[in-house]
Amino acid sequence: MIDWAWIGDHLDDLASRTLQHLYLTTLSVAIGFAIAFGLAVWSIRRRAVYRPVLGITGLLYTVPSLALFPLLVPITGLTDLTAITPLVLYSLLIFVRNFVAGFDSVPSDVLEAADGSGYSGRGRFWAIEVPLAVPLIVAGLRLATVSTIALVNISGLLGDRFGGLGFFIFEGIRHSFPTEIFMGGLGSIALAVAVDAVLLAIEGRLTRWTRTGPADARPIADARVAT
Amino acid sequence: MSTAERVVFEHVTKRYAGTGAGNPGAVEDLSLEVPAGKICVLVGPSGCGKTTSLKMINRLIEPTSGRILIGDTDVARRDVIELRRSIGYVIQQVGLFPHQTVGENVATVPRLLGWEPARQRARATELLELVGLDPGRYATRYPSALSGGERQRVGVARALAADPPVLLMDEPFGAVDPIVRERLQNELLKLQERLAKTILFVTHDIDEAIKMGDLVAVMRTGGHLAQYAAPSEILADPASEFVARFVGADRGLKRLALIRVADLDLRAATIAHAGDDVAAVRARAAADPFPYVLMVDAANRPVGWLDERRIPASGTVTADHSASESPLFDRHTTLKDALSMLLEAGVQAGIVVDGGGAVEGLVTVEMIMERIRPR
Repeated sequence: MIDWAWIGDHLDDLASRTLQHLYLTTLSVAIGFAIAFGLAVWSIRRRAVYRPVLGITGLLYTVPSLALFPLLVPITGLTDLTAITPLVLYSLLIFVRNFVAGFDSVPSDVLEAADGSGYSGRGRFWAIEVPLAVPLIVAGLRLATVSTIALVNISGLLGDRFGGLGFFIFEGIRHSFPTEIFMGGLGSIALAVAVDAVLLAIEGRLTRWTRTGPADARPIADARVAT
Repeated sequence: MSTAERVVFEHVTKRYAGTGAGNPGAVEDLSLEVPAGKICVLVGPSGCGKTTSLKMINRLIEPTSGRILIGDTDVARRDVIELRRSIGYVIQQVGLFPHQTVGENVATVPRLLGWEPARQRARATELLELVGLDPGRYATRYPSALSGGERQRVGVARALAADPPVLLMDEPFGAVDPIVRERLQNELLKLQERLAKTILFVTHDIDEAIKMGDLVAVMRTGGHLAQYAAPSEILADPASEFVARFVGADRGLKRLALIRVADLDLRAATIAHAGDDVAAVRARAAADPFPYVLMVDAANRPVGWLDERRIPASGTVTADHSASESPLFDRHTTLKDALSMLLEAGVQAGIVVDGGGAVEGLVTVEMIMERIRPR
């Protein structure tokens, strides 16, 4: 059923489409991350903002991707922007929810101690709040990245210049050629798994403090002060 | 080392929006002065404004009116960030930064002040030693690997890092078990003997207030200062019915915790050495209204009480004639501990010994009871 010869002949194409897939994913996730970070900070500073932010990003999330890509063409033309915009919009809900949950997870006694120690507002945010929100920020990043990698395939609707590995899926459907569909689909899955593994490793490095470390870092009996 | 500074409240009032005086956390016209180097404990029922008062010093809360001085400077005139870096702050939940090691936590204020990294580390090491945590074992751990008592020690070390003249402690030992609390209290008192900081300490526990405070400010709901005095004075002479009730019906007993054996005129013990003549010993005992004879050894250390039934009719007394021992006290034993040891042992008198174990005199239950009676 699989046409191995075709695969052998198209390794270059597979590589370049994989790179395009990564490019569209990285750009979308980066832009989505930045916008959502702003929205999340706004939401924790002004609590009243959070509901409307969730409402709008939630509404965007419900728009069918099959419709959104074509709908943008009259506005932005057949550009990377048209491929990226929906990907960014879909990532916002995931990001905002996780970022706000991350900032909310910072214990109030830690914030009080930071204020009492003389942190400025900005200093406290970057030195205390962001690092402590990292576990949930990275959880959101992983979720949004995996979902974006899947969605990049749909951008193949816009034509052969787009879609990353999804290009093969669309072409395979057009030509009733299962090998191409499999390669596009499996490639996309493999990419998602690989990127997620990389993010997991990064998360591990950033959140060493959440785990009990080596044997000598476990709780020990209360130390006594020599009298 | 920085010198301690006095802290002065001048007609400080804090009201919360939309309400008058008397709601929880409000403070009404508080005036008091904490002399430099003293521990002042703010104590009272919940909602009495004690924590609000504390947080107005480092301006986590701003007063509605009145002013607070550290030294001679109104805190409202100082830059709030600079002010907080110059005041140690310890809270009940400690608030250690979980993503920083113990060493980094302790070096928080030095880091904010821009000290050289090497100096920060040296200071963290010094402070961990000061609070009794081995820097080699603890400095590189994360707070999640510590027990509650260890965390609270790190919290105290962090507060002391930049050698602040004033230390604020908000129920610092409220979340640890009673045994650890007792130990931390004793350590803080010992630390204070060396550091002599001005400490404002909030608690709802009157026993802790009496133990820790050079001065105790009893506050009542509505944020009014009910009494501000030394603990012994608050126990001996409560200013109002409220203070008397807050201090508790057992305030006579509580006062015993403030009095030490050294404060009493010790009763001289009737002494016998092995080899003394029986008749002479009997004569000495008969001449004393407290008719018990204590056998001591050559170094004047207690051996035991002579037992009437074992003494022969004539000859000399020996160690074999002594029996029951009494609790031994030193001059620092509190009368509260002394009384409970006497009751536990079921005896009338305890023996006070010096550092070498030699008898200095006796403390009797009667002498302690004398101190409980209201004057």
